[in-house]
Parts: sequence; structure tokens; C-alpha cells
Amino acid sequence: MDSFELYVRNGLELRGIDVDDKDIAVMRAADAVYGPAIRSLMEADLGSAAPEIPLDPGSPPREAGES
Amino acid sequence: MTHPQDLSLRDQAAGVASGELDPGEVLAATLARIEERDGQLRSVPSVFPEESQRMLAEAPRGPLHGVPIAVKDMFRLPWRGPRDGTPREQLPPGESAAYHRLKDAGAVVVGVTNMHFWGAGSTGHVSAYGPVGNPWDPSRCGGGSSGGSAAAVGARLVAGAVGVDGGGSIRLPAAYCGITGLKCTFGVVPLQGYTHEFASMDAAGPMCRDAADARLLGETLAGRQLPVSDESALRVGIVREPFWTDLDPEVERACEEALDNTGWTLQEVELDGAEHAQIAAVARLTLEALHTIDDEHLADADPIMRALVKYERLLPAELLVRADLIRAKLRRALAGLFQRCDVIAWPTVPAPAPPIEAPVVELPSGHYPADAANVRQSGFGNLAGIPGINVPVGLHSAGVPIGLQLQAGWGDEAVLLDAAEHVERVTERAYVDALPPLAGTPA
Repeated sequence: MDSFELYVRNGLELRGIDVDDKDIAVMRAADAVYGPAIRSLMEADLGSAAPEIPLDPGSPPREAGES
Repeated sequence: MTHPQDLSLRDQAAGVASGELDPGEVLAATLARIEERDGQLRSVPSVFPEESQRMLAEAPRGPLHGVPIAVKDMFRLPWRGPRDGTPREQLPPGESAAYHRLKDAGAVVVGVTNMHFWGAGSTGHVSAYGPVGNPWDPSRCGGGSSGGSAAAVGARLVAGAVGVDGGGSIRLPAAYCGITGLKCTFGVVPLQGYTHEFASMDAAGPMCRDAADARLLGETLAGRQLPVSDESALRVGIVREPFWTDLDPEVERACEEALDNTGWTLQEVELDGAEHAQIAAVARLTLEALHTIDDEHLADADPIMRALVKYERLLPAELLVRADLIRAKLRRALAGLFQRCDVIAWPTVPAPAPPIEAPVVELPSGHYPADAANVRQSGFGNLAGIPGINVPVGLHSAGVPIGLQLQAGWGDEAVLLDAAEHVERVTERAYVDALPPLAGTPA
């Protein structure tokens, strides 16, 4: 059992969610597609990125409108 | 005599208004065409002969008086709760805001359109009502999640349909089926009575054969005018990375040729954070819906979707925080960019509609699930909240359409419709007027 499968099985068990070998195979395939991008975002330096509060997706960012 | 569904939406509306078309006959002919032509597409799983007759009898003389419209199965109708591509109602029957807008315009809701299960895919091949076929080749995907709306319009079953776009769900199927699909700015079309009313990414919009029809239906849905202007001198931003990379060569060429022929000023631009837009959109889309999925919902899903939900439940909370920081970064960058550009442009989908049996696309770097490749092109617009439109600009050697995506600043739907009409003119309407084999020659 590799670290991915250990993480999945233990994580879902902690939440009381069943998991079988087919689930693991699908999740492994999903992780092959999205995993690199997820890890890249998790490692990105976002220290200088400011959140947008409040967020209104229907309008430009408030600070852009005010500047 | 021309079948009413071989007429444009605006010609149907004008014909009914002038008395040249009998709306009762239009409705009957539309229901008959769906019955006759939809077998391979599964685009309209439920039609409403009685309810649409009743709507017609009570219809005010609005801009869509007596015109049949199909609605994605995510909106409450007085006689049907929306099913979201699943076997059961997700909300009780009722009057959604979209239904109200259509009713007030005099339109007739003729049926609901098929969609990807839970709206959670761009192919439309997973649905309780069977996979959505493509009118250009029913063995290929009609797209998702508003695939039924796109296929029904493409096959000339209806001239107008309502879609919703949370990660590309109007623009992507519109590209697959060769129609014009407009995702409005977030909030422009009210989403009361919609199954994913909680979502921060979703925006409804019209799906029609061309931009003029999309304008007519879009004005109804938005509840405001979308006035025509001359858009022959636009400044267009070309964001190469990542949106013009790793594309099917025919898709890339058709989109470039269409833009080159517009006479617009094209300028290469960069957007800070764009490299993370795909995964930020996927994280937002999936994680903000997770709380709605309970055991009963999961029991309806196929084993692959159940496993994917489990995978999503293990994603770290920090991922969503980071996705939102990327969202903020992109929105700020865009606000600056739209000071210098009127629209931004890139291919709507990186490759044409794949086979239903194997919804995988071939790109220069390899084979990928269509969903992952597609959301790279479309999720950006949902994160930003801006409007976007698919304009048909080519036909791939695989026999299915190619689409160009244009996006504009918040509230600039009219600019996009003008721009799309300009593209239609420079392509001599070759692609918006092209008939898929299934639609044959107009009678």
C-alpha cells in the first residue's frame, strides 16, 4: 500500500466513509490528472496575494473601481 | 412551407407577432420535430404538451410571444421540479426566476433539456436520461453540462434554450454543437429557483444559433436591453499562456484565422495567476457543492462519480483558500486588463467533441479526460464572474464544430454579442448557418 492509498483509506475511515479498491483506482486516476496542479497551487508563493473581501463576482474588484 | 424550427428565434417571434405564423401550429410542429429527431440525441428528455399549451393560452404579447423555448433541467417550473441530470427531483416544482422572465416575455416552455449528472461534467455522457449526443455526429458528446440545450438548438429542435454555466457549461457544449452560447455576468440573470443557487461560479444565459437570437433571448433572461453597437474596431487581448498552448492544431488554426480576419487590433497580454486558474476553478466548483451531496444523492450516482466525491472530500481546506487567493489575483489583473482591451479571446475548447464511448481528447502533449482539458479554457471566466460567448468558427476534419471564445468586462454582454456578430459577418455566416447532417436540408 503506497502513501496515496494510505492517506485515502485512513482519511475516509476517519470520516466514516467506506472505500473499496475500485474507489481507490478512480481516485488514483483523478489524482494523476489534477494532482500536479493541486500540488503546484499548494506550493505557490501567495504570501503577497490579498483576499478579496467582500467578493462580488458580478462586479469588478471594489478596489479597482475605487482607484 | 418552411418548418418553424428552421427559422431563427427572431423570425419565429416576428412571424407570430405579425400574424404570419400561428403560435399553436409552431408549438405543435416543435413538439413533432422533437419526437421525430431527438431519438439519437436524448437532448429533451421531457416535453410538456399540456403545460406549454396552457402557457401559450395565457401568454402576454411580449418579445417572445408564442415562441417555444427549452430550459435546462435545473430550474423550478410550476409543474416540474428540476432533476439536475439525476433520476429524481432536486427541488420541488415552483416558479424560478428564469421561468418568470420567459413567461413574462410570452415564451412557451416546451421541454427540459438533458444535462451532465449534477452538472458535474463538460461531456454530457453521464446522465440518468442517457448520454447527450452531438447533432453533428450522435456518437460524439453533445457536451455539458448544458449539453441538451446545445444539442437541441444545433439539431433545430428549438431555436432557443436556457443554459447555466458554472465552469464552462454553456460555452463548452455550444462549441461542441456549433451554436452560440452566452454566459452572462454573474448575477445578471437571477438564479432563484435554480438547483445550485448557492454557487459563486454559476451564471445563466441564452443558447441559440447565432448572436442576434442570443441577444433576443438574452434580453429576456437579463431583463434589460443589450443594445447593438459597431464592434469592428475592438482591442483584443490574446493570453497565450496557458490558453493558446497545447491545442488541437485544427482548433488553433481556425480560431487564429477567424481573429485575423476580424480586422481587430490583437495584442499579446499576460494575466498574473492564469497558470493556476484551471485548478482554482475546479477546487471552487467542486468544494462549494460538496455540502449538498448526501447519502441519498450519492446512491443515485454512478460508481465513478461516487469515488470522485470521496476524493474531493479529502482535499485540504487550504486548497480552497489558495484557490480564492488566485481568484482575487485574476480578478484584479483582469480589471486592469480591461482598461487596455475590450475583449480577450482564446479557443473555447482545446479539441473537438470526443466520442461518447471514450470522452478523451487528443492534444499535442498527450491524451486527457475532456473535462480536465476543457475547464482549463473555461473555468477562468467563472472565477472572474465575467461574461463569455462561444462563436462557431470552423468545422474540424472529425466532422464536428470548432468554437472561439470571447470574454469581456463585467456587464458587457452587449459587447460580446456585437463582437460575435462581427465574427459571423467576416466568416460569411458559414458556421452559424451550417446544418448538421442530422438536421438535413430545411424543408
